[in-house]
Amino acid sequence: MASALPVLRRSFADSWRSLLGWTVGVAGALALYLPLYPSINGAGQMDQMIASMPPELVKTMGIEQISSGPGYVQGTFYGLIGVLLLTIAGTSWGASAIAGAEESGRLELDLAHGVGRLQYALESALSIVVRLLWLGGFAALMVIVLDGPAQLGLDAANVVAASTSLVGLTLVSATMALAVGAITGRRSIATVAGAGVAVLGYVINAVAAQSSDLEGARAISPYAWAFRNTPLVDGFDAGGLVLLVGVSAALTVVAVFALRRRDVVG
Amino acid sequence: MPIAISTTELRKRYGSVTAVHSLDLAVERGTVFGLIGPNGAGKTTALRMLVDIIHPTSGTLRVLGEDPRAAGPQLRRRIGFVPGDLRLDGRVRGRSLLNHYADISGDVAPGMIDALAERLHLDLNPPIRALSKGNRQKLGLVQAFMHRPELLVLDEPTTGLDPLVQREFLLMVREARNSGQTVLLSSHVLSEIQQAADQVAVLSRGRVVAQGAVESLRLGSIRHLRAGLADTTVDAVRTALAQLSQLGQIEVTDGDVVRLTARVNGDIDAVIKTIARFRLVDLAVEEPDLEESVLSLYGEQAPESSEKEKNNG
Repeated sequence: MASALPVLRRSFADSWRSLLGWTVGVAGALALYLPLYPSINGAGQMDQMIASMPPELVKTMGIEQISSGPGYVQGTFYGLIGVLLLTIAGTSWGASAIAGAEESGRLELDLAHGVGRLQYALESALSIVVRLLWLGGFAALMVIVLDGPAQLGLDAANVVAASTSLVGLTLVSATMALAVGAITGRRSIATVAGAGVAVLGYVINAVAAQSSDLEGARAISPYAWAFRNTPLVDGFDAGGLVLLVGVSAALTVVAVFALRRRDVVG
Repeated sequence: MPIAISTTELRKRYGSVTAVHSLDLAVERGTVFGLIGPNGAGKTTALRMLVDIIHPTSGTLRVLGEDPRAAGPQLRRRIGFVPGDLRLDGRVRGRSLLNHYADISGDVAPGMIDALAERLHLDLNPPIRALSKGNRQKLGLVQAFMHRPELLVLDEPTTGLDPLVQREFLLMVREARNSGQTVLLSSHVLSEIQQAADQVAVLSRGRVVAQGAVESLRLGSIRHLRAGLADTTVDAVRTALAQLSQLGQIEVTDGDVVRLTARVNGDIDAVIKTIARFRLVDLAVEEPDLEESVLSLYGEQAPESSEKEKNNG
């Protein structure tokens, strides 16, 4: 009898080195930024710096609140470096899951065995979800550990909420790469699509932040879905999370159907 | 006898390119069926349709009594498949990869993987990326044979294997047939098919141009002859060969010894006996490549087609 989730287990076996690398990256970014908070903020340097910057730039980077602990963590990690790291990781996993496997010739052999395409695509998506959750959970744990020493004054539950939003946001890019990879079979196109969603979402959010007239544009930015309601201060944003998870689920369904009806050629 | 594979007017088009035109095949259970043809004939396309990697454009297809599109994974567990363009790579060890496929396709007898690996002289411990082309091909064979599937679909399975392993492989094919498994074997090497197959179909440009028992196909009748003849002259050789109508493309050149090359189409006995009158310093009789055999014997039957053929077989 076939054992449970063989595709998922193999993707872990194939990618644990990569996952370890990304984990080290997240740890490095947090260990570098967070402990600096007391020294930068101590003498009111941060407020002076923000005041001297063009307001448009401050709004673009989302660092209006950077002199507060949550604002600092949001402005440096959750809204910037964290998004960057997890987006790159998720997009590359999404692009390699189907398109990469097809280009390497592996998909043909895999699918000639006793695994259906629905199962293959779903387990691939699940594997990405689990890996992103790992990175998000690891980041939350590190932030909570560093909270005291770095005098950030964070609420642990809100840290978990921010990490959840981060995972949801980067999952949109990952599943976009998965879906476009399933449609085209081309890893490069899938990567561009995944990264493109992230960049577009960030740009729309930044532009919309400039003026209340443009506020409505945030409705189509996954970045805004994740962070417009500042989960690091206000906790879980159910509406935003539903949007992020819903879009990711829809993209996974697209991946399933695209893979099912297509010829695998490699 | 029950049928393992049947196709009726099976067709596959990629855009404007037709890779398989109208394929009618019937493979009986418990036999070895050879599919031969030059590269680009449509072999790989046909075999990929059997395992639902690509979907037919039209026509009907039955594999072990089921339609591959509708039957899904359950049917593919009963099939062992070696892709024509087998590419394996990565850090994963051969054993882990085989265990993974055993997880999916199920029912691999204990010790089977090691027994097959030992038989093919394959080390399962190094990461796949450290394996030679031939050893990766052996992994491909093991994953196809290990669950003793009812049907083996093998696309150019001996690519990159050394002759000793090729011989072992042919033994494995014979044993599979003797235990009731059906084997569909594609190749562009005629001798391989001649040794292994009971029935054979010749594919050219996406169509079956000949089908039947291996011996009935006359494919083995063309030979290239090269000889070096001493103590004689070009004219004497030409005169001796003149009455042999089965010879074509005769070239005789002078030198230290007279060099003869010719193509033999048909009875070789009279040819050898004729040149045996001279003092031979060198003799080679070679099989032509399959492309030449197919085109020269069946070329007139192969429909003229201006369409560009897909070049991956």
